[in-house]
Amino acid sequence: MTEDNFEKFLKQTAQSYNAPPARVPREEMWNAIQAKRAAGPRVVYGGGLASDGSSKRFGTRVWLGAAAAAMLLVATGVGIGRWTAAPVSQTASTIQVPPKAVVAPEQGGEEPTGEPNVSAVDQPSYRGSASGNNQVATVAPRAGRESSRASSQVATTNTPSAPTPSSAYQLTTVRHLSEAEALLTSFRQRSNSDQQMDAQLGVWARQLLSNTRLLLDSPVANDPQRRPLLEDLELVLVQIVQLSPGAAPQDRDLIEKTLQQEHVLTRLRTAIPAGPQRGS
Amino acid sequence: MQLVAYESRSSVNDIHLITRVVAGDAAAERELYETYVDRIYRLAFRLAGDDELAQDFTQATFIRAFEKIGSFRGDSSLSTWLHSIGVSVALNGLRKTKRQRNREAPMEEGISIGSSRTEAEPDLKERMARAIDALAEKYRTVFVMHDVEGYTHEEISGALNIPIGTSKSHLFQARSKLRVALADFAPEWVS
Repeated sequence: MTEDNFEKFLKQTAQSYNAPPARVPREEMWNAIQAKRAAGPRVVYGGGLASDGSSKRFGTRVWLGAAAAAMLLVATGVGIGRWTAAPVSQTASTIQVPPKAVVAPEQGGEEPTGEPNVSAVDQPSYRGSASGNNQVATVAPRAGRESSRASSQVATTNTPSAPTPSSAYQLTTVRHLSEAEALLTSFRQRSNSDQQMDAQLGVWARQLLSNTRLLLDSPVANDPQRRPLLEDLELVLVQIVQLSPGAAPQDRDLIEKTLQQEHVLTRLRTAIPAGPQRGS
Repeated sequence: MQLVAYESRSSVNDIHLITRVVAGDAAAERELYETYVDRIYRLAFRLAGDDELAQDFTQATFIRAFEKIGSFRGDSSLSTWLHSIGVSVALNGLRKTKRQRNREAPMEEGISIGSSRTEAEPDLKERMARAIDALAEKYRTVFVMHDVEGYTHEEISGALNIPIGTSKSHLFQARSKLRVALADFAPEWVS
């Protein structure tokens, strides 16, 4: 009974809550609706309304604007492409030249005694022009006429010019490779029974694996030397990530074998420029 | 009187009206507007408590309805569809207005339910209004629609896109909170 009374009381009293005026301003609102609809884009219900002249003009204007914007966009794209094409092609040609210099220490099975030569050619933008040219000059007699011509190209591109558009990628790559080298060195030096270390290395390897894959999808992977190195690194990192803390010694041996067969560490050290700018 | 006009409409009339509106019949647009404008405006006013806002919400409701009526599939009645637009427009508009007001007067103290009697005692209507304002949006909307404007739970369910049971639950919650808030006035309904 009390509940019914309360509901009745509530409904009666609540009638005063935000009570609307007795007269609804119909005409005013209708006029406002018409004005707003006229001001905005014309509504067409499934083609039910014939379009008038004004909407045609509006449409034409929109299309002309869109076409102009598209042309401007294309022109800008072409301009940027031409502006960036020349330095990129030059860089690409210099990178393609010294594969022999890179492979040489590997084939010989030596430690990378030729490291400065390779890095001078491979990382032209990270070294001073003088040292770069000197090192290239020492390579030339060994590599023959082809390399001599190539090294002259390197010398021209090794001038201390402004960084090419790919400099950011190169810098990132060097940092990444430095970190990968540190990881692999730690992996080799760890104790077989240190499961906690394995877990930490796994986390570290996972981060590096993501970055390796990103680099593989970047312009850095166009470099014929970098790509195989990154691919081999990816393989090793995947193996380390998948290595569970309690893994059998054979699993670790497998990784070790990959490292040795592919000379991953050696190639990593070769690819990282030495000196004060290393990894910076 | 407007309710009579609204209630006497059949779904056949609605379908015919919609067909004409979709075909671009300006007179049909006006007819649709005349049929539903009072109810939409009243609800908007109840929710907003302000004539200017209520008019804005009503206009926006019909503009949106005319824009989208071509995609009306007839899953619900025209009234339900229109009210769902109306409630959505009003609640979104009120949230935006509330945010603006909060930015303009961030230090303004909130109104609490069941303020103590040591404060200056407002009369019943004012206390009621403050208590309703203090309800959560979902409770207030259902309460206003059901107990103030007389919508059925079916209509509320369709307009708010909630199950009928939820509508009933929200109403129960709203009434419970109001009962607490208006406890000082218990003799008014107990007697």
